[in-house]
Amino acid sequence: MSETPLDYADLFETAPCGYVLADKDGRITRANATFAQWVGSAPEELQGKRFANLLPIAVRIFYESHVAPMLHIQGSVSEIALDILHTNGNKLPMLVNGTALRDDRGQVASLRFAVFTASQRRNYEQTLLHSRNEAQASVLSERAESELREQFIAVLGHDLRNPLASIASGTRMLLKEQLSERGSMILRLIDGSVVRAVGLIDNVLDFARGRLGGGITLTRDDREPLEPVLRQVIAELQTIGPNHQIEAAFSITEAIDCDRVRMGQLLSNLLGNALTHGAKDQPVRVMAEAAGGQLIIAVANGGEPIPATALERLFQPFFRGDGHSRHEGLGLGLHIASEIARAHGGTLTVASDPRETCFTFTMPLARTAQA
Amino acid sequence: MADQEIKATVLVVEDETLVRLYGMDILEDAGFRVLDAGNADEAIAVLQSHDEVALLFSDIDMPGSMNGLELAHLVHDRWPNIRLLLTSGHRQPTQDQIPDDGRFMRKPWGEQALMAKIREILA
Repeated sequence: MSETPLDYADLFETAPCGYVLADKDGRITRANATFAQWVGSAPEELQGKRFANLLPIAVRIFYESHVAPMLHIQGSVSEIALDILHTNGNKLPMLVNGTALRDDRGQVASLRFAVFTASQRRNYEQTLLHSRNEAQASVLSERAESELREQFIAVLGHDLRNPLASIASGTRMLLKEQLSERGSMILRLIDGSVVRAVGLIDNVLDFARGRLGGGITLTRDDREPLEPVLRQVIAELQTIGPNHQIEAAFSITEAIDCDRVRMGQLLSNLLGNALTHGAKDQPVRVMAEAAGGQLIIAVANGGEPIPATALERLFQPFFRGDGHSRHEGLGLGLHIASEIARAHGGTLTVASDPRETCFTFTMPLARTAQA
Repeated sequence: MADQEIKATVLVVEDETLVRLYGMDILEDAGFRVLDAGNADEAIAVLQSHDEVALLFSDIDMPGSMNGLELAHLVHDRWPNIRLLLTSGHRQPTQDQIPDDGRFMRKPWGEQALMAKIREILA
């Protein structure tokens, strides 16, 4: 086998990459045919031009301020991504390697560049960049959407409370007037419905805030007594079931360090649940006592016991029992009540047998001792 | 009970008409003289022509140039003798946000709650 001698001139001219030779100032002394063809010139036309002048303005600044100095200092650059201008004005994405050749005294004498087309690689990079931007944009828009949702729920809740407050006020004014038996019964039912709606809105707002990271926030203090708050709740909830007997027994003598509004909401949710699901002909019993270093609030009702399988899931949001009876509300009441208990460092438990179903809130009172 | 109290004048500021009327009803039944306004600007106009007002009972969330908290600050600056009771259904100001040891009552309030607060303030 005889070896064909290498045709170096042809290898230079028609190499699968562009070659550009330049003097120390970057003025082109020679460019190969491949490069000349890429940029749309004849090789001779390129002679004497500055390599930098083949670059778009912005790229030229980058070349002068970064690439050229690195060539002079380090002696080489590699894989520099540059756009090079075709004579028709198009920008060609290229990758450039460069070396500087030095004379005997170590001064840069000339420059050599090898140039590779990079449009596919650049496309790939831009696609990556694009999808990253898109992913970021969609995360941002999801966040904005959930903020919008939170605001929507808050505004809706607030806007619903205003007309409800109006209905409640109007109803209570009318209740003071001389009315027929039927008239005042209807007004009491309207009043009860308003109480239910207000409780529902409170729970939905709390749930929305909890889901969006706000959680249940407490404003605790022991400056005012708790009992009047609880009595007020019982008086309000009585309007939900005017004929349903509610027995209350209180034994709270000490100051309770708690969020009284939240305590009212907890009792309201437990009592609302008992009045809705308990047997109408048996009284609902509310017990609240502070003794032995703890506060206990218990609400018990008679009627069908809750099945053991349902007991475990009772405090989960949107749990609505087996649906055989006329259930009211979203199933958030017990969930919110347990969250309020937890926020106070307490617990909410349930026991159910044929005699009664009893929810018990227990909270340690350690914080209040002569603090 | 109400008969034993000094019958002061109360200014009720509330943008929901029925809620305002209900509050006025309760206070009038208790023997107070009652003035009313539907927003902060109206309230200031009332105060400018009635120097006998002893208590401002105002909602916090109202449309107009000022909310109830801002109104309370302005009233405290210009009429320092007027006592303050604020109410809101969806925000609970801290004690130092309310000027002059004013009181706060959460909405919804009823007759008992309102009268308890009023007695506390005018005691």
